[in-house]
Amino acid sequence: MRDTSRAVPFLPSARAVFGLSLEGMLWSRRSLVLGGLLAIPVLIAIVYRLVLAARLPAEITGLHLYGYLVALFWVRNALPLAALFYATALIADEVEGRTLTYLLTRPVRRSAILAGKFAAYVVTTLCLSLPAAVVTFFVLATSRGVGLAGSVPDLFRDLGVLVLTLLVYGALFALMGVLMKRPLIPGLLFLFVWELIANLPGYMPRFTITAWLRSLVTHRPAGRGVSEMFGQVLPAGLSLVVLAVLTVAFLWLAIRIFSRREYVLDQ
Amino acid sequence: MKRSRLVVIAAASVVGLGLALALGALVLDPARAAVGPLPAEGLVLPADTRFVVGIDVQRFVQSPFYKKFASQGGRPKAFSELEQKTGFNPERDVDQVLIAGRPDKGQQAGLVIVRGRFDRYKLSQAIETGGRRVTQKKHEGNPLYIFNEGQAGASAIAFLGHDANLLAMGSQPAVEAAVTSHFQGAAPLKQNTALVGLLERVKPGSTFWMVGDQSLLSQMPSAVPAPGGSGGAQLQLPALKALMVTGELEPVLSLDVTGDAADAAGASQLADIVRGFVALASLQASQKPELKGLQNAVSVTTDQSSVRLSARVPYELLEALQPKKAAEASPVPGR
Repeated sequence: MRDTSRAVPFLPSARAVFGLSLEGMLWSRRSLVLGGLLAIPVLIAIVYRLVLAARLPAEITGLHLYGYLVALFWVRNALPLAALFYATALIADEVEGRTLTYLLTRPVRRSAILAGKFAAYVVTTLCLSLPAAVVTFFVLATSRGVGLAGSVPDLFRDLGVLVLTLLVYGALFALMGVLMKRPLIPGLLFLFVWELIANLPGYMPRFTITAWLRSLVTHRPAGRGVSEMFGQVLPAGLSLVVLAVLTVAFLWLAIRIFSRREYVLDQ
Repeated sequence: MKRSRLVVIAAASVVGLGLALALGALVLDPARAAVGPLPAEGLVLPADTRFVVGIDVQRFVQSPFYKKFASQGGRPKAFSELEQKTGFNPERDVDQVLIAGRPDKGQQAGLVIVRGRFDRYKLSQAIETGGRRVTQKKHEGNPLYIFNEGQAGASAIAFLGHDANLLAMGSQPAVEAAVTSHFQGAAPLKQNTALVGLLERVKPGSTFWMVGDQSLLSQMPSAVPAPGGSGGAQLQLPALKALMVTGELEPVLSLDVTGDAADAAGASQLADIVRGFVALASLQASQKPELKGLQNAVSVTTDQSSVRLSARVPYELLEALQPKKAAEASPVPGR
């Protein structure tokens, strides 16, 4: 028989929190809205194949459109937004719903709670985004003027970048979620103001996440005007290392802060 | 079963099926490459090759570029003559052409490998009765036709293998070496790790592509006139260590040129020079409206020590950039 005075080991408790959180995250209004947002490229791809292919300028092939959707839609906008809405709510939702007490009074370590919830966030967002990316790829890569086999390496690379995007932004926003009471506005400012630094010349883009992610996408859209002059491509190997370090650091900090913080729930 | 598990399984199935299909397309693609865009038969190219060019002839012939070129009378007359004599039509019967060489050795090291469908009997007869000084001998048990044997610059042509779908032509030593490698199953090109490294960086599936090391650029000028500069001011061009080109002809003429400079500073300098020229050309758009679309057609980026120039030129713009016909450009004398 288990000693009830001691906390449940990390893995079993994280798995239990993961199962519970996944059920709540996948079947929620948030998932319905964000699932719709993340699937917009599928609609764009179908419209392109049915209507636009014959009307758009000839230089926009299916693969170019796919490249734009990966770099500008998913990596730059939709996935960071999904991460913001899910990851900041990992703990904030429990605080707002005044259910955090029930979690914290169970014999589970706080680190296991956040780890389980973060894993549920990752699985939820992957379930919403990866199928959309794969379907979009096949709809566009089988259009006129695109070689499917030649484009396959792009698909594998892009799926990897999408996973990294969700991990690194998820870890950052989980940290903001445990640090701040209302992290949405700072998160939006970070995404749509601070991240614009990625387009500046010099060393500054290295202080953004999007510059590192953008460097991993091979079919990045050609810049125009000023952004083309300044748009930097950072080394791919270094980008991977930086993103991995950032993810681990943000997540470790989030777990550390959540483990030590005292939550006073409003009555 | 929990609802969430159903969603996860459904999503994993879509992604798994997609990845399996993608892998299947990659493995079963008939134009599957051995190294980058280079097909397996290209590995018989000599180890000291300094540049390789590949052309997907069928895609090239089907492109609007070639169709227009042919409709304007650009189709070589030799094609018709060849078809009359041998029934061989390069536009129809050739699938792929690989060209390899060494700029420092000229034609002595040139080798061309052609994949297609050849009537071996008719082609052999045409070679033998072609009127040039040709001798036939066996090399590795394979017939080899040598032109001007024993003289400097002797060239040769040979079928690679017993099925009539691969043809090697070029200098006699290069063709003999390719035949030997083909029959012994050797892959000399793999010893050229620098070139193989460049080939691996080229995306397969292009209509045409080219990779080459610095020797390819040895004939290029090391300086260009400075834009707007007077008194013979010149810009020093940073040396390039390697060059990779891929291109498509459909639906627009698209060209991706990647040059490896010695360092990031050199790449940045080269990119600035190219951007400067594009900007200068665009500035002239007020006087020459045909240049208006040029800036949007060309983009230059740098990635560490590499410079990448991407050009997507619609045929309309290409046509506008061509010099006007003399009749349109110059007034008729006497009027």
